[in-house]
Amino acid sequence: MKNKLNLQEKNPNLYLPERAKILKIRSFSDKEKFFEFELLDRKTSGHLPGQFFQVSILGIGEAPISITSPPSNNNRFEMSVRTIGDVTTKLHTLNVGDIVYVRGPFGNGFTEATTNRMLNKHLLFIMGGIGYFPLRSLLNKVVPEREKYKKISILYGCKTPKERMYPEELAELAKIGGNVELLETVDRIEGDWKGNCGVITTLIPKVDFDPSNTIAVIVGPPIMYKFVLKSLLEKNMPKENIYMDMERRMKCGVGKCGHCQMGGIYVCQEGPVFNYAEVEKNEELF
Amino acid sequence: MSTKTSELVITKDNLFKGLDKTLIDYQVAALTKKSERSLFDYVTSSSEIKLEYQPTVLSPKKFFFPQEEVILEYTSDGKISAKIDAKPLVLFGIRPCDLNGFKVLYEAFADDHGDPNYLAKLEQSVVIGIDCKKICDKDSFCFKVGSQNALGGFDIMLYELDNDYAIEIASEKGRKFVDKYLTTSKARGDEIATFQAEKASCFGKEKPFKNLEKFPEIFEQSTYHPVWEQEGSRCLSCGSCIMVCPTCYCFDIKDEWQLNLKQGERIRNWDACMVRSFATIGSGENFRHGATARLHHRINRKFNYLMKKHGQAVCVGCGRCVRACLAEISPKTIAAAIDGEQG
Repeated sequence: MKNKLNLQEKNPNLYLPERAKILKIRSFSDKEKFFEFELLDRKTSGHLPGQFFQVSILGIGEAPISITSPPSNNNRFEMSVRTIGDVTTKLHTLNVGDIVYVRGPFGNGFTEATTNRMLNKHLLFIMGGIGYFPLRSLLNKVVPEREKYKKISILYGCKTPKERMYPEELAELAKIGGNVELLETVDRIEGDWKGNCGVITTLIPKVDFDPSNTIAVIVGPPIMYKFVLKSLLEKNMPKENIYMDMERRMKCGVGKCGHCQMGGIYVCQEGPVFNYAEVEKNEELF
Repeated sequence: MSTKTSELVITKDNLFKGLDKTLIDYQVAALTKKSERSLFDYVTSSSEIKLEYQPTVLSPKKFFFPQEEVILEYTSDGKISAKIDAKPLVLFGIRPCDLNGFKVLYEAFADDHGDPNYLAKLEQSVVIGIDCKKICDKDSFCFKVGSQNALGGFDIMLYELDNDYAIEIASEKGRKFVDKYLTTSKARGDEIATFQAEKASCFGKEKPFKNLEKFPEIFEQSTYHPVWEQEGSRCLSCGSCIMVCPTCYCFDIKDEWQLNLKQGERIRNWDACMVRSFATIGSGENFRHGATARLHHRINRKFNYLMKKHGQAVCVGCGRCVRACLAEISPKTIAAAIDGEQG
């Protein structure tokens, strides 16, 4: 937890968002859509994997949304959004060429220190449902440079086959081979699904990993964390080798409004990416 | 505490005359009365100002952090600008509890990212404190949390003497204000010490929580103390404690179109972590389970999470939440129970 003050002069533009134009839209389902945006007022998005923007629709409000594209040197970025509140529902009605407003990027993200820890290790991505969205940025950073890692295992679980996000990307990931493997499961079989059926923890025994030389990254619905952590700890995975990306209600993004607090931690500042060893005792983790 | 020396004294008459002079250049807000209730409000003449402190329902934080405040303005054709509304303000007669609150709020709004709205208002203000010689009522407990003396948050502090006030100047802004508006005379130098001796004869009998300085660690280890359930089970989750608190600064943000649908505003307003919806996320999950957990969170902000950061108890013992709470929940009761455990 941050215990030192870092007093700053006033920033007149702290709450002033910038324009972002919608370049591309595609639907995954009735509830989830993919968007590509272009920032009109600056040259780079400047984000790290795991960071988020506060996305505004004027007259409706502002909502924190994960950036799903990997870091890049240009002003484009991607997001995938489930309709859940006022902003996300309105966002789903917008068209290519429409303008939204963004502030950020915010949050710690997967910092260079964290991603450096991952080098030459076996990476275990454990994603549930739209947990794919916040992890996709990191995934699409490490997969193209896969030779830097011992192995990359991607474990993806969804309720039903039609709730699989980025199906074409999953097909690509499955084809790569070598040190990249994709294991999928669904809770309920529908249609012609021939793959695994069961909760995501049923995939963990199928992966051959040396816990002390593996880094796990978990994102999914709140219920998923407890069970995944239990499975990993039973395999003797060191707690400091586990990272989680936590969802909270970030309203201001700058550590003031208090909504995202997890005990004493402002998740918008010190998270949303946490090392499990550092937060395991936090009362408000799950 | 260290003995301060005063350079200047001012008569009550000259003080009021000086405040009347400032009305040309500043709005002046001070302790006044409406329908027999004490409150901090704008005044149009020094004759409306009450010098005898009686607890107010709302703290003076409202002048820097209003209950509702426009932070952005925009139009339907996409013009958007930050709205920062700050006017020259003299805040007169603020007591140590609330000054300690101002210190915390300044630090909170300046920490990591400088909040433009709060800091602009603060820059435009001159805060004049009046030190307390006696404990204001049975519900206040500033002396339990080390808050009976102001640790900061003021430009000028006044210490009441028999017929005069001794003046302590704490900032350059305060010095300029005194030079420009107040007719003062030279002090002997021992006035503040005299005041403090008199203050100590009342406050000196009261002792702070014995483990106050170690509260962050003690509260960290007291999550399962029975006092949380004992007090939290009575909580009505109304959020009144937060509305009246001088150091609660959480807020919500909402957007509103004007009726013509051509202009809109983004507004921030006070929000309350004691209300269930505060921590609910998009999917409907809430990781703060129930009123007891919410009370635990709020009180830990005061005596643990934020106390670590600000180096002072963030509950300033003003007693406003105690007076406002229909369920008679008091941070003092909770802190006493947890302090008692440590022997």
